[in-house]
Amino acid sequence: RSFEYSQKNAVLIPVAALGIGGILLYWLRSRHKIKTIEMGDGWWGSGERPLKGKEDESIRPFKIETSDKEIEDLHRRLEQARYAQPLEGAAFDYGFNSNYLQKVVAYWRNQFDWRKQVEVLNKYPHFQTTIEGIDIHFIHVKPSYVPHGRAVKPLLMVHGWPGSFYEFYKIIPLLTEPARHGLNEADVVFEIICPSIPGYGFSEAPHQKGFDSIATARIFHKLMNRLGFKEYYLQGGDWGSRITTNMAQMLPQSVKGLHLNLVFTGLGGLRNMLSVLVGAYVPWLVGFTREDVRRMYPFIQKNFYQILQESGYLHIQATKPDTAGCGVNDSPVGLAAYILEKFSTWTDKSFLHKENGGLESKYTLDELLTNVMIYWVTASIVSSMRYYKENISKDPGLSTDARIGVHVPTGIAAFPQEIMHTPPVWAKKIFRNIITYSYMPRGGHFAAFEEPRLLAEDIIHFVRKVEKL
Amino acid sequence: MLLEVFLVLGTVVIYFLLSRKEEATLLPLKEGWWGKGQKPDTEEDKTIRPFKVETTEEELSDLFRRLDQARFTEPLENSRFHYGTNSKYLRKVVSYWKNQFNWKKQVEVLNKYPQFKTKIQGIDVHFVHVKPPCLPEGQSAKPLLMVHGWPGSFYEFYKIIPLLTDPASHGLSGEHVFEVICPSIPGYGFSEAPHKKGFDSVSAASVFYELMLRLGFNEFYAQGGDAGWLICTNLAQIAPSQVKGLHLNLALVTKMGVIHLLSVLLGRYLPGLFGFQDEDVKRMFPFLQKGLYKSLVESGYAHIQATKPDTVGCGLNDSPVGLAAYILEKFSTWTDPEFRDLEDGGLERKFSLDDLLTNIMIYWVSGCMVSSMRFYKEALQNGLGTQKHDKLTVQVPTGIASFPNEIMHTPQAWAQKKYINIVSFHFMPRGGHFAALEEPELLAEDILQFVGKVEKEQLWRKKGE
Repeated sequence: RSFEYSQKNAVLIPVAALGIGGILLYWLRSRHKIKTIEMGDGWWGSGERPLKGKEDESIRPFKIETSDKEIEDLHRRLEQARYAQPLEGAAFDYGFNSNYLQKVVAYWRNQFDWRKQVEVLNKYPHFQTTIEGIDIHFIHVKPSYVPHGRAVKPLLMVHGWPGSFYEFYKIIPLLTEPARHGLNEADVVFEIICPSIPGYGFSEAPHQKGFDSIATARIFHKLMNRLGFKEYYLQGGDWGSRITTNMAQMLPQSVKGLHLNLVFTGLGGLRNMLSVLVGAYVPWLVGFTREDVRRMYPFIQKNFYQILQESGYLHIQATKPDTAGCGVNDSPVGLAAYILEKFSTWTDKSFLHKENGGLESKYTLDELLTNVMIYWVTASIVSSMRYYKENISKDPGLSTDARIGVHVPTGIAAFPQEIMHTPPVWAKKIFRNIITYSYMPRGGHFAAFEEPRLLAEDIIHFVRKVEKL
Repeated sequence: MLLEVFLVLGTVVIYFLLSRKEEATLLPLKEGWWGKGQKPDTEEDKTIRPFKVETTEEELSDLFRRLDQARFTEPLENSRFHYGTNSKYLRKVVSYWKNQFNWKKQVEVLNKYPQFKTKIQGIDVHFVHVKPPCLPEGQSAKPLLMVHGWPGSFYEFYKIIPLLTDPASHGLSGEHVFEVICPSIPGYGFSEAPHKKGFDSVSAASVFYELMLRLGFNEFYAQGGDAGWLICTNLAQIAPSQVKGLHLNLALVTKMGVIHLLSVLLGRYLPGLFGFQDEDVKRMFPFLQKGLYKSLVESGYAHIQATKPDTVGCGLNDSPVGLAAYILEKFSTWTDPEFRDLEDGGLERKFSLDDLLTNIMIYWVSGCMVSSMRFYKEALQNGLGTQKHDKLTVQVPTGIASFPNEIMHTPQAWAQKKYINIVSFHFMPRGGHFAALEEPELLAEDILQFVGKVEKEQLWRKKGE
């Protein structure tokens, strides 16, 4: 009888052990299984998607060109510009001050040299390739010199609105050749890929409705794949932040690290509102640091009122982009006023009170106008505005999907003059793997353009930490 | 979820406890000086000078050059008017503008009514003044001030003026005849734009009050929609003894209270409890879609104009095509929201291209787009419903013509909290925001019956004294 018993146990126990072990393993595995955004697919060309034939996957070199006709047309429009007198004492309170605008236009007409700027733009290699039916433009900069034994890290940097790939021109050399530019962390070297978001600059605009950041994320993954990269770093601010975040949520296994200079947490819901109210009196209770407090309060005035003051463009672009963009696609002066207003206010909020919007204290007219010219010569302002409608009608709060979260190593550079400050305690709710969070000493929304060194240092610092892991 | 519910209820209770009743005091006249630089010591020139709209060859050739060089962006496939003005249709409008529209002829049309300018508080105020062509024995013309809005102009009234100055000839009751005064709001059309900050609706009302006094009127009627609604309301609050009657084709609620919240939540199921009529329910609900969502989708322009008028207006003052796109979008959507589903925005169903382009040309030749937009910032920059005039009621006899396609529907139950002396409130059978231009007969009829009621009431009162 005991023999039978032990025989039964000899079978039962291992089976039970296997069973329990199996269940345990499955449970452990599923806990670490990260949810991702569906990749999906899309077609953005004109008309119907062709059923037959494979898409042309060639990567074609591209050079920006201009012509006498283009420059003469621009000059004629600048000469015939009509201005409305600003109100007395208005500075930049009512928007772009037209007295200062006339000075900018005078420079644009008489000193700005578009042919020279085109050469500047062409100093980095440009390419175009067709993905999902539209031509995607990008620059691809490799380091001219790679120190012996160093691996070059691919880094995709994505711009936003009203910026362009050109915003990265000053930071690129700091990342492809850090040693030459006196950056200490010389053991990390990058090759940079800066695409233009479809509908912006030299990327073709989608012809179909519904082109949002998820479609963009998918297209940029396809681009990196086509360039032969399996794993890469991502960097972005403004729309670039949303797109790169979506990329990290879509294919986390391809994203070695995600670096952001703007974090979309939306309004964060009621809990965030409450923590703001409570945090005014007992910040430590809700996890705010002293720097958080300094940047966020007085909250009602700083954030809520300011957001309302500064979000008119977002509201109209998210609802009537074709109307809002029509005039500025036809008047270069109107386009400049519209775009440069952001370069003023989003760089430093105190610039609202300056007669000249403080623009030339942080940027040169040449670089500001080169960015404006990219929108002008490509006539892409309307399609760039449509991006707001496509994204915001699907997600009015512009939040990041917290159910999916972001699990790739993340680095956040929080610039003091950014439009809205996201404290680390809020960012952690979505970004589950924050490796670095830096309170930057100065700088605003256009970080790469305004403070390339600070941003480059933070990117390198972040990547070094990820690589050592 | 429960937390959210408690917080909402808590806020409601606190708001209810803290909200005070409407006051019934006068709105003070807003003295101001809007001219350039310092106010001079000399007395203001109060003469009323005749004015004629003029054009030149240069003006026309400049316009044509800009129309020729216009740059359009292809619309997304099947987007119709959902992304704003459809550029395919816009091309057709521009082609008409270049080849058929005759601005010289339209200037003559504009000049068919006598126009004048006079300096008030430092700026030139333009107005149309039309007297009845023939007055029956013993009858006197009643002065009627009609104020336009944005993106309209004094031209919106050109169809309704004859129905009010000579109703009998147009098949309407000749009991009351009007002399009509249509000013241009300072910053619009041929009225000079204020040079100083702070010119809001109360400022405009004060300027128009001075205008009517200068024209020798001690008593007058006021009519308005869009910005005209607000300015005429303020006028009635400033000078209730002079404004005999106030007629509106728009009456927005700017001060929301607990009652409004409750009636939005429950009004569909208990309309009687909140004073809603069947037509109110039909126009307002489902509220999320017709009220909240619609106002969010359609208020982007107001948001940007209330914050950055000089930026958004800049390109529109330099590109006539951009200006047309911006203005036409409103004439489409605000006439009928379903027009957004049409490739051509339904514009020519209710308006002629000549009328639409004449209105746009007024903005173009006067270069007033930016200053017209500043009005939004001056009115809204401190928030909706925060101004003194928002908190005061209107005691003057009021008539409201409620058009079905108006941007937002205001039920009588809500309007009478502010307009405490509503003499007539009618649901109009058809028509939208630009009532005077789109449905002049309907509007004229409603004004006439309203004035009839006010005059009868006055006569009865006089007899009783």
